[in-house]
Amino acid sequence: MSSSPSPANSANGGDTTNAGNGQDLNLLHFLDKVRLAATRDAKEDEGEDSPTELNTINSAGGFLVVSPDKLSVKYTNMNLHGHDVGVVQANRPAPVKCLTYYFEIFVKDSGVKGQVAIGFTKESFKMRRQPGWEVNSCGYHGDDGFLYRGQGKGEPFGPKYTKDDTVGGGINYATQEFFFTKNGAIVGKIPKDIKGHLFPTVAVHSQNEEVLVNFGKKKFAFDIKGYEVSERNKQQMAIEKISIPPNIGYGLVKTYLLHYGYEETLDAFNLATKTTVPPINIDQGNAIDEDDSPYALKQRKILRQLVRNGEIDAAMVKLREWYPETVQDDKSVVCFLLHCQHFIELLRVGKLEEGVKYGRLELAKFVGLTGFQDIIEDCFALLVYEKPEESPVGYFLEDSHKELVADAVNAAILSTNPNKRDAQSHLHSHLEKLLRQLTVCCLERRSLNGDQGETFRLHRVLDNNSTRR
Amino acid sequence: MSLFRIFVNQLEEDDEDMSQATSKKVITREEWEKKLNAVKLRKEDMNTLVMNFLVTEGYVEAAEKFQRESGTKPEIDLATITDRMAVKKAVQNGNVEDAIEKVNDLNPEILDTNPELFFHLQQQRLIELIRQGRTEEALEFAQEELAPRGEENQAFLEELEKTVALLVFEDASTCPVKELLDISHRLKTASEVNAAILTSQSHEKDPKLPSLLKMLIWAQNQLDEKAVYPHINDLSTGQLEDPSV
Repeated sequence: MSSSPSPANSANGGDTTNAGNGQDLNLLHFLDKVRLAATRDAKEDEGEDSPTELNTINSAGGFLVVSPDKLSVKYTNMNLHGHDVGVVQANRPAPVKCLTYYFEIFVKDSGVKGQVAIGFTKESFKMRRQPGWEVNSCGYHGDDGFLYRGQGKGEPFGPKYTKDDTVGGGINYATQEFFFTKNGAIVGKIPKDIKGHLFPTVAVHSQNEEVLVNFGKKKFAFDIKGYEVSERNKQQMAIEKISIPPNIGYGLVKTYLLHYGYEETLDAFNLATKTTVPPINIDQGNAIDEDDSPYALKQRKILRQLVRNGEIDAAMVKLREWYPETVQDDKSVVCFLLHCQHFIELLRVGKLEEGVKYGRLELAKFVGLTGFQDIIEDCFALLVYEKPEESPVGYFLEDSHKELVADAVNAAILSTNPNKRDAQSHLHSHLEKLLRQLTVCCLERRSLNGDQGETFRLHRVLDNNSTRR
Repeated sequence: MSLFRIFVNQLEEDDEDMSQATSKKVITREEWEKKLNAVKLRKEDMNTLVMNFLVTEGYVEAAEKFQRESGTKPEIDLATITDRMAVKKAVQNGNVEDAIEKVNDLNPEILDTNPELFFHLQQQRLIELIRQGRTEEALEFAQEELAPRGEENQAFLEELEKTVALLVFEDASTCPVKELLDISHRLKTASEVNAAILTSQSHEKDPKLPSLLKMLIWAQNQLDEKAVYPHINDLSTGQLEDPSV
C-alpha cells in the first residue's frame, strides 16, 4: 500500500523534503507515525459522554416534579387525559460507539393507576406523551406490560410492573435492538428502527407515581456486563467457525520476525518448529534474496540492537559502511530520525549542553524544511522541561519511539534489496497489512451502521487476556 | 406489446438492477489505501501479539530471545512455560505417571478440579501399559483406578470399556479401537493437559493471532453486505485485490 505523502510536503518554493528521492518518499510514512504518536488518544473513550441525570429543562414541566438530585421523578398532577404525561428525558443521549447502553428505574410508588413507562425517545419528542405513543420512540409500559413503538396501540411484550420493581431499558448496537429487563432478567427485545441519538426516557402518569432512575452510579439489578460478554461470545463463536489455512499463524509469526530482523528469535523459532510444523508459504516481501534466503538479516539485527541501546553514532557508522545509499543524503528521513535520536539520548542522561551543541550541528538544517519542521520543533521542546518524560512531548523518550526509529532503519535497509518485489513491501510487515485491513473493515462497517457499535482495537483484544472468573 | 414497449421495460428492469447494485457504497482503491494508512497500529501491540503466540504455543527459548530483542514482556512467567512444556513432553513420550506428578507439583488443583482430564490421563497410562505388553499390571490398574471412575460416570465407563478391549486382541492392529494406541492419541491427551494448565494460570489456551485472522475474513464478509471495496482474499499473500465491479 502506498504511503500517504506528508501533508506538509507540498512544494513551498524553498527546499522541501527530498521528494525526488523515491526511497525517501516511502519512508515519510515513519514521520507520519511520529505525528500519530503525538496525538495521544484517550484510552477507550471514543469521546462520548453518558447520561448522568434527568433533564429538568426539557421535561413535562407542570405535570411532574424532579428531585433536586435529578435522579427521581414524581407525578404531581391528576391524570386527566393522554396529553398530560409526566415524561422526562436524561440529560444526554445514550452513547453509541459501544456495544450496549443500559439504564434502570425503580418504581417507588405506583400511584393510582401504575402507568409508569421506561423507554427511549428522540430530542424532539413531545414531552406530554408516553414514550412509544409517538413515532420514533419506544416504551415498555408498566400498567399493561405492552411495548409501544410509535402507534397508539402497543403489542404484548412482557409482564406488567409496579411498586418495588426494577425495570431496565437498553440498546444493543450490534444487533440493533432494544431490550428490556424486569428485576434482573431480560423480558424481551425488539428491532430498533429509530436512527440517530436516543434519550433514555422515563414517564409517570397517575397521581403519586414515583420513580427512581439509575444511570449507572449504583449497581444494576441486571448483569449488563455479563450480557455484553455473552453477546460478544456469540459473535466470537460465529467467527471461530471460519476456516483459515492450517498453521498460517506460524507462517505469519515467522515472516514478522524476518521482516523486522529479530534474528535470534527467528532462529529459536525455526528450531522449535522444525519437527512439528510443516513449512508454510507466506509472502516474504522484501526480506528475502533471490534464493529465498533472508536478506541482510544479521545486519538489520545489529542495527536494531544499536538503536535500542542508544548507540546512535555506532549505528550511523555501520549504516555508512554497509548501506551508504541509505544515509548518503544527510537530509533523508533516516538521517533525520537518527540525528533526533542521538539528541534524545543526550537529553535522556541530562547532557543538555551537549544536546544543544549537537542540535546546532546536525539538526538545525532540518528546521527550515516543511516535512520536518513540526517534528523538530516538538523534539527541541524537550529542552525546556524539567521533567521531559512527563511533558506533552514525552513520547520521544519512550521505548516506542526508539522502536519507530529502529523500524525506519530496518525499512531503509530492506529497500536496498536488489531482489525487491515491489516498491512498498519494506514498509509494513505482512501481519501489519492484515491488521490494518481488519481495522478499516470494522471501522467502515460501523460507519455504515450509523456509526454505532464497537469497533476493532488491537490493544483491547490484547488486554482482555485472562479468562474471567 | 410493441417492440418499443418491450425495450423500454427492459431498460427499466436494468435500471432497477443497477440501483440494487449501486445501493452499496463503492470505495475506490485510492480511498481505501488512504484509510489503511490512517490506522494507528502500535508496533508494541503487534509485538505483544507475537509474544502471546510464542508463549501460548510454549516456545520458551523463542519467547526469551524475543523479550531480549524487542523488549516485549511475556504475559506470563516464562518459567511456568518450561514446567508446562515438561508435562506436555512427558505425555507425548508416554511417561504419564511422570506427567501426573509434574502437574500436581505445578498445581494440585488442576487435576482435582478436572475429573475428565484426570480420567484421560489415567486412561493414557492404561494404554501405555497395554502397549508395553504388561497385561496383568494393566488389568490391575484398570480395576483399581479406572473402574471406580467408570462407575460414577457413563461416558468414562464407555471409554474404559473401549480401552480394555485392546487387551482382548492379540494383534492390536486388528482391533477396532486401535486408534487409541496411535501416537496421535498421546498428542491429544498432551494438548488437553496443556490447555488445562494454561486455564489454571488464567491464561487463554489458544493464541490470539488465528482468531484475528478469522475476524478479518468475517469482517470482510460483513462489510460485503454494505460496500464494494478492495479485499484481501489470500491471507498468505496479503495482496489487496480491487473490487470486481
